[in-house]
Amino acid sequence: MVLIAAFVLLTIGTAGFLYRLLRGPTLADRVVGLDGLLSIVVIAIIVTAAERVSFVTIETVLVAVLVGFVGTAALGRFIERRGS
Amino acid sequence: MVDVISGTLIVLGCAFAAIGGIGTWRFPDVLSRMHAAAKAPTLGLVLVSIGAALRIDTLLAATTLALVVILQLLTSPLGAHALSRATRRHIDAEVDAGVDELLADELALDDEVADEQ
Repeated sequence: MVLIAAFVLLTIGTAGFLYRLLRGPTLADRVVGLDGLLSIVVIAIIVTAAERVSFVTIETVLVAVLVGFVGTAALGRFIERRGS
Repeated sequence: MVDVISGTLIVLGCAFAAIGGIGTWRFPDVLSRMHAAAKAPTLGLVLVSIGAALRIDTLLAATTLALVVILQLLTSPLGAHALSRATRRHIDAEVDAGVDELLADELALDDEVADEQ
């Protein structure tokens, strides 16, 4: 029950971020969409781990959070230099 | 009892992630979309992590999730700040100079450069 409700809500969030990732209009909008999709993935991994009552998949979340930060910061610097 | 609390927290956190997605979809301009995308999913991640830590009920899981939450709380504002500053420099928005402190800073910087020349 909790799992179904959680994943229905996450699907709604994914639809919003995916729309922004595909539609644009600027590069910063796409970066925002990509960053949001990564947070959705992180939340989904934690929800799945809680449902299975196991912590073996939680370490991957750490990597995902750090990769997301590096990607967003690097793309921010890139936009700052290149424009649009 | 613990299951009820953790289930509520998990569903609430996913609802915050959904709100972030809806805001990113519906808001009219880039900076307000960043505002929606930077804060709501972070709070959702915090709530989901507390719920999962209550449900898994292991010290290892709790410490790992605490590390995840701390990292997310540290890195999410930094990434959003870098992105929004880059965007603000490149959009041609009509911004009130009394409110926009970045614009005020840049105008002051321009004046200093002009004074030096």
